[in-house]
Amino acid sequence: MFEKRSIGLALVLPAALFVALGFLLPVGLLLAESFRTPAGWSLAYFTTFFADPLNQAVFLRTLRLGLTVTAVCLVVGYAAALAITGLGPAARGRFVGVLILPLMISPVARTYAWVVILGRTGLLNVLVLKLGLSDEPLRILFTETAVFLGLVQLFFPLAVLPLLSALENLPADVVPAARVLGASWLRVFWQIILPLTREGLVVGGTLVFVGSLTAYITPAMLGGSKVLMLETLLYQRVSVANDFVSAGVISVILIVMSIATNVLLRRLAAGRRAGGAHA
Amino acid sequence: MRSLGSVLLALVMLFLLGPFVVIVIAGLSSGETLAFPPPGLSLRWVAKVFEVESFRAAFGVSMLLGVGATLVALVLGVPAAYALDRYKVPGGEAVRSIVTAPIIVPGIIVGLALLRFLLVPLGLPVMLGLFLGHTALLIPYAVRIVSASLNNLRVDIEEAAILLGASRAGAFFRIVLPNIRSGIVAAFILGFVTSFNQVPVSLFLSGPGVTTLPIEMLSYMEFNYDPSVAALSALLALLSLAVVVVAERLLGLSRYV
Amino acid sequence: MLVRTILGATAALMLTGTAHAADKPTLTVSVFGISQDVYKRDLYTPFEAKCGCTVVIEAGNASERLAKLEANKANPVVDVTAIADFVALDAAKKGLLQPIDTGKLANFGKLYDIAKDPLGDKMAVGYTFYSTSIVYRTDKVKIASWKDLFQPALKGRVALPNIATTQAPILLSMLDKALGGTTPDYGKAIDAIAANKGDIVTFYARGAQVPQLMEQEEIFAAVVGRFDWPSIRKVQMPIAWATPTEGMGGGMNVLAIVKGSKQVDLAHQFIDYWLSEEVQTKISNALVDSPANKDVKLADDKAQALTYGADTVASLKLIKPADLLDNREKWLAGWNGKVAR
Repeated sequence: MFEKRSIGLALVLPAALFVALGFLLPVGLLLAESFRTPAGWSLAYFTTFFADPLNQAVFLRTLRLGLTVTAVCLVVGYAAALAITGLGPAARGRFVGVLILPLMISPVARTYAWVVILGRTGLLNVLVLKLGLSDEPLRILFTETAVFLGLVQLFFPLAVLPLLSALENLPADVVPAARVLGASWLRVFWQIILPLTREGLVVGGTLVFVGSLTAYITPAMLGGSKVLMLETLLYQRVSVANDFVSAGVISVILIVMSIATNVLLRRLAAGRRAGGAHA
Repeated sequence: MRSLGSVLLALVMLFLLGPFVVIVIAGLSSGETLAFPPPGLSLRWVAKVFEVESFRAAFGVSMLLGVGATLVALVLGVPAAYALDRYKVPGGEAVRSIVTAPIIVPGIIVGLALLRFLLVPLGLPVMLGLFLGHTALLIPYAVRIVSASLNNLRVDIEEAAILLGASRAGAFFRIVLPNIRSGIVAAFILGFVTSFNQVPVSLFLSGPGVTTLPIEMLSYMEFNYDPSVAALSALLALLSLAVVVVAERLLGLSRYV
Repeated sequence: MLVRTILGATAALMLTGTAHAADKPTLTVSVFGISQDVYKRDLYTPFEAKCGCTVVIEAGNASERLAKLEANKANPVVDVTAIADFVALDAAKKGLLQPIDTGKLANFGKLYDIAKDPLGDKMAVGYTFYSTSIVYRTDKVKIASWKDLFQPALKGRVALPNIATTQAPILLSMLDKALGGTTPDYGKAIDAIAANKGDIVTFYARGAQVPQLMEQEEIFAAVVGRFDWPSIRKVQMPIAWATPTEGMGGGMNVLAIVKGSKQVDLAHQFIDYWLSEEVQTKISNALVDSPANKDVKLADDKAQALTYGADTVASLKLIKPADLLDNREKWLAGWNGKVAR
């Protein structure tokens, strides 16, 4: 650690100033505007916003999709991570590659594929009809189910990668030791593996949850105007009606939810820094 | 147990990679419209992608933006990460929070805020707005990844160099920089990919004649119904595949994601 | 080296925003995004050659582009906008447009009368008319009336325009008339759509979505403007354009000059060129827009596909932009309260 504070300050200052002026200031102004009504500072815009049944429905849908996508990603992701750690190093590396690849591909391309798959004449419906699972093609596109599937595919890697590193960091002898002492596999899992990988669950869960709350492309392309989420509602309010009041309110809600989730993450996984490529 | 795991992994692979296979095949369709399975295979829509002028223009904007914003983010981010790691910066944790703040603010809000409180009041050009938004978004990536590399580099090598007469700047350029090079390259690749694929930030910041590629794809899709967007998606997916493979070979990118 | 590269890249970035200004004058035109290949071939490129200027295009639907116009009021980026008549009136009332000097338009006298000054105060000139009706799969359903949109065979198989599109008020007015409504809030139409909203696949934002939905068999019927017909016809399925007993709806699109434009002369030249017999004939023959220029002569098959001829134009029952705008709050409130929730 070097002592000269002035040099240190001079090195951080450009980045800090850039972010402060070119980013924090405008975002701050945008957020502040949502609390400044003609009658003074108040929460009036928020009460008006939540009084509208459409807005309530969109808010609840966003929460519901965020929670279900996170739950599914974590449960399936955990099982997948367990299976991957059981593989040899070469196969493990290949799977990590398979997980990272989608993160690098344009989300527009990733989501567009689902339009082709989920349509009434799409791949999924062709299979459903051939297998006789239904007499009629299913209506999936422009429903919450389509958005759910798209989001799970988009964020699944973000759930698995932290779980994988948590599992790999397990002390090598804990599990065999417990087994030798006669603990059942299930008991080892509940009492040893799960608590020790809590951090991975928290990191992965946060990345997926925040990602789902703030996703734009997936609800826009697979949900349409009947399955609005907060981000698509925000875009619609601005682009269709120049309604910057609702946009500001939605911004505050999104930021509060993102920060709250992130703070929760830090509390639960104190000390460890998490990184991740956000889609 | 074992076989159950294999079945699960096979399903996961199918779920993650299947859509890309579908999009590649749809992009190679010989038909007029987007249909799956396609009536036949051809390269006509791949060729069309290169003919559409708005795709070419948007590709140029996205490349320029990706390279420019990532480079500037690194030029600002590397010294910041170095200072935060090696110096006692007054209010260090607060400063770290500031420079990594853009990562937790949803992109659409960044775009809207820049449009309303910077671009419109000051009358700035569209390109500058995109550049500001993307750079701000990438600074946290640069800081975090470079910080991680610095953490792995022992301070005493640097101190030894200084004891042996190197200036502080000399020690940074001759000792530190070469040692964190792979971290910087990883930060560059991730930053570029993030910028290139970014949609929400660019949504409000695009203007007439200046659009990024993903935004152009979205708007093309809204007015045209042919497989060229699928063909373009497939091309982009292959490009990403190449980047990932090369980066993994060169520096083990998976350590940084 | 690195520093120089970065400086170079940054400088290039800054310049792109203003690069056009250096060499040629630039005219920025805001248009609907449909059929851009035809417009480029028959309008933008020939105009660029004529004027020695660069035409930059902003494409989007009417409400999005109006919102952008409003957001950029202090520093307008668009010079000419091609937009629906009532949206243009909205823009004019918000002080976003400037009057057109019709003396500068050589082709002004050749326009149908209703296209000459549709908004009053010379704020805009009409460049095309269109009808609005229902497209449907003839092998699956029959459509004889606007009320047929809600027949059992179309449950979960019909798409309607989103309220933010220009087609939405036209749909509401025709459906309301069909259901015997008489109030300007289109109450009957909105109630009917609200009662059936679970059976409507989607409220589309762009007409170009309709052929995709048809192709994927998501829908068997949709309400669209005539300008979307050429792309819908390309779908390899038995699809027809309905002529409901209550009549077809319709609308007019207009050209207007944005207040604060720095290219007023060029803007007039561009509008004049767009209204010329030459351009209007080419665009009509591509079945993109029906002509507003009386002198345009079309072959029968083309004429059939368009809204063409003095009699047809005279029979168009367009909704007056002022009426539509005055009552907009009422039907918007009805829609948001009953359909959107």
